[in-house]
Amino acid sequence: MRVEEAPNPLAEGLHDYRVADPAVMVIFGATGDLSGRKLLPALYNLAKQRSLPAGFAVVGAAKDELTEQAFRKHASDKIRQFSRTQPIDDRVLAAFLDSVSYIKVDFSRLEDFKALGARLQELDNTRLIPGNRIFYCATPPPTYELISVQIQAAGLSTSTGFRRIVIEKPFGLDLKSARGLTETLHKVFSEDSVYRIDHYLGKETVQNILAFRFANAIFEPVWNTNLIDSVQITVAEDIGIETRGAYYDRTGALRDIVQNHALQLVTLVAMEPPLAFEATAVRDEKVKVLRAIRPLIGEDIEQSTVRGQYTQGWVLGEQVPGYREEPNVATDSQTETFAALRLFIDNWRWAGVPFYIRAGKRLPKRITEIRIQFKRPPHLTFGREAMKEVDPNALTLRIQPEEGISLKFGAKVPSAGLRIRSVTMDFQYMTSFLVEAPEAYERLLLDCVIGDPTLFTRADEVEAAWMFIDPIEESWRNGRPPLGVYPAGTWGPPAAAQLLQGDGREWHRP
Amino acid sequence: MSAVVTPDVTPEWHGDDVSIRDVLDALSQIRERFDRTEAGDDEHPHPRSCVMTLIGVVASASHEQLAVRTSRAISAQHPAQSIVIREDAPVRGGHLEAWIATEVQRPAEACATECEIITLHVRGAAAEHLDALVDPLLVSGVPTYLWWMGTPPFDKRDLLEALRICDGLVVDSAQFERPYHTFRGLSALLNVAHHRLGLADLQWARLKPWRETIAQFFTPRDRRSFLGGIAEVGVDYEGDGRGNRIAAALITGWMATALGWNLKRAAAGPGGVVVAHYEAGGRSIEVAFRSVRKEHLAAGELSAVRIAGAARGTTFRLSVQHDPERMRSTPEPSYRSLHTTGGEDDAGIELAERRAEWHRDVLHENLDSLHHTATGDAPGESRPRASTVFRFDRRRQDSTTVLLTMIEVGEGAPLRHVQQLEGEDVPSLLLDLLSTGTHDEVYNRSLASAAELVEKF
Repeated sequence: MRVEEAPNPLAEGLHDYRVADPAVMVIFGATGDLSGRKLLPALYNLAKQRSLPAGFAVVGAAKDELTEQAFRKHASDKIRQFSRTQPIDDRVLAAFLDSVSYIKVDFSRLEDFKALGARLQELDNTRLIPGNRIFYCATPPPTYELISVQIQAAGLSTSTGFRRIVIEKPFGLDLKSARGLTETLHKVFSEDSVYRIDHYLGKETVQNILAFRFANAIFEPVWNTNLIDSVQITVAEDIGIETRGAYYDRTGALRDIVQNHALQLVTLVAMEPPLAFEATAVRDEKVKVLRAIRPLIGEDIEQSTVRGQYTQGWVLGEQVPGYREEPNVATDSQTETFAALRLFIDNWRWAGVPFYIRAGKRLPKRITEIRIQFKRPPHLTFGREAMKEVDPNALTLRIQPEEGISLKFGAKVPSAGLRIRSVTMDFQYMTSFLVEAPEAYERLLLDCVIGDPTLFTRADEVEAAWMFIDPIEESWRNGRPPLGVYPAGTWGPPAAAQLLQGDGREWHRP
Repeated sequence: MSAVVTPDVTPEWHGDDVSIRDVLDALSQIRERFDRTEAGDDEHPHPRSCVMTLIGVVASASHEQLAVRTSRAISAQHPAQSIVIREDAPVRGGHLEAWIATEVQRPAEACATECEIITLHVRGAAAEHLDALVDPLLVSGVPTYLWWMGTPPFDKRDLLEALRICDGLVVDSAQFERPYHTFRGLSALLNVAHHRLGLADLQWARLKPWRETIAQFFTPRDRRSFLGGIAEVGVDYEGDGRGNRIAAALITGWMATALGWNLKRAAAGPGGVVVAHYEAGGRSIEVAFRSVRKEHLAAGELSAVRIAGAARGTTFRLSVQHDPERMRSTPEPSYRSLHTTGGEDDAGIELAERRAEWHRDVLHENLDSLHHTATGDAPGESRPRASTVFRFDRRRQDSTTVLLTMIEVGEGAPLRHVQQLEGEDVPSLLLDLLSTGTHDEVYNRSLASAAELVEKF
């Protein structure tokens, strides 16, 4: 192995130590909300953890007319306001801000991108950066194409080091637009240089699903159709659409949550063990799951999906308006704020096991959990009477809040006779690791700088998810099944409960 | 003078002249009470979390307080049972006096967790059998770490016996009172301890930012070849004498083992400079150790590391140094005024310590007669307090600071970089070590290499 490709022997044994080559991160939309709330504070915290190498630089690029000094002030204010770690360390912040600069870029002006190129060249020379570039699009999705075209036209895609582009979800609004976006990006960046961020995958507890499954020997043998009856995934929010009315009314729960977050959870629960926790291996296994999901077509959609919209109701003790009364929402909107569906994964491991997904807004509580429902014992050794209060075993992976895992099982009630009741054995993250977890963006930004795309979504993943979602979306737009309503603060329209009742099951109340 | 120190948290339970069985009974009652209270109307008690048992062995009141404070800090992040054992403590009544304090954490989104801090003051033969003393108290199924504050007696069987029940031993080689000798004892422990035992050193943890910063310089692919071109290393440290070169030896041992350098010779030069010569692949690497007076640093601390060389026709130079603006915040150690050392090197410290021990022994031999003369009490009516040897505190408590890095590659302008050092307070360092376990092959290799180098000093 050439010396350049060998691991750095001095890095051995440095736990959690991951550091990249010096690079410049260009943040398009640097004066926007995402940059201020998430990106700049995450970069500051990475600097504080000594994860950014000497020479690393950030260039803010936006259409605002700002001086370098004004942008640094803006960055400083946002970091102070939104940093996960407080109080702010002034010397670290000052050193970080030294590496931050600003340039006005109008995305439609090639000259601005050429000026950006000159700035990057200057930084390469002064900060010993070997031409490594990361272009972060903290901008609305319609700008991605223009930005990538301008990057190429200005010659920014041909530097000597690596070049990566980071984009935020949604990755298209359907299969066609997702493919169009991928094709556009691929004209400038190879697939392994495109980092599609779904911040959900940066959450520690989501990553822990893989640790739970593949770092323990006792769960995998029962993790299949032989012992599992069904899987329920709940992604519930108690909030409404807040200020996102215009966006949400065009999108809906299916595309906003199910297409990405919920299907990502399905893949993590259902995937086969990857050879290693490594980008290609992990993403290959996830794609296999998505491709194995039985498509819902025609009448399947009416029988296996439920859509609903919240009306006025009470959440957390407060009266809240209905969806159509929210700002920037059409008064006759047909957009769903609740989606439930039943899907099957047609492979050896999961044949016949239904996966029930529900996601929505203005539900009674904010909770994301995965519940693995096991089959009943094959024989009632203790008789029907003794077992009447016993539920089947269930394993619940709670993603948020109260992150943890609980196992439900039967135990004998202390008494002279023999009665069995269900009890739970709980594990809570917060009582075992009372350590504040890093922000999802810290993890994902560092992964991107280092060049580890394991937790980013690959093009074929995106397309496979849209292939499943598109027919449902089309059917829903045609009014099949009809839009149900549910009072805010309830668990969706009645049809959601009926979806499981028809199978002899019921939703777990989280 | 030492006094009976009550732990600085209000104890839930306290007993004079007790047995370990009494302590266990008290623990059971405390746990049951907590479970009932927290369960409230719930049918089942909430789960009990515990990720480790931490045993702190201390020899002085100040260390005891530090151990209890550290236990509390650790329980705020890793639910643990802590046992603080003070040997040869002034004990009222029999041989064992015990306190149990609890630390309750109430995370916002999880049920409360109770961690116990058990303080044992032991006197007499029981103190020589630590394993028998604490074994019944250990939490089953979680690792047990023995944190020996001060200078561990590596030459005594008691320590090895105590280590039998432990998964890891934590020491601070920066706190050793006879660093040169004790450090060699620490290195020798690698050969005699049971194979499951992990060895952790708070001084090694303090070097982590230095190691990261140095490793970071060589991480870019275009600089990886520099590793094979290192020709000179300079290590500056605070303090005189070989005992203050432990951190310098560790960082050098780390580089030597990682990069395959073999020690050829080491020799003292003029002006207190010690030079070691290593060889790798036919190349010679010179490492110069230099004592540089830095008022803001404690004895033995690194003040700078410089690495220079050339590869593929390009020269490079890396300089990492402690922020020189850091200010001293702790007073001078008090024992120096009592026992003149004649110098701050190892020999001087050893001499001072011997004098101090002699002073204590003389006092101790005549303690009863002096006490009765002073108080007028009949023999046995009251007990004199034990005397204390003032010890040299090798580490200062001030900590938060930054590393300044200067990089020069080829003819380019130097690049300056600032990185934060986290708090070097004991709880933070201990947490960092224990959260990743105490088995660290890199440390073991570096320790062995450093010990080889120290021998040549």
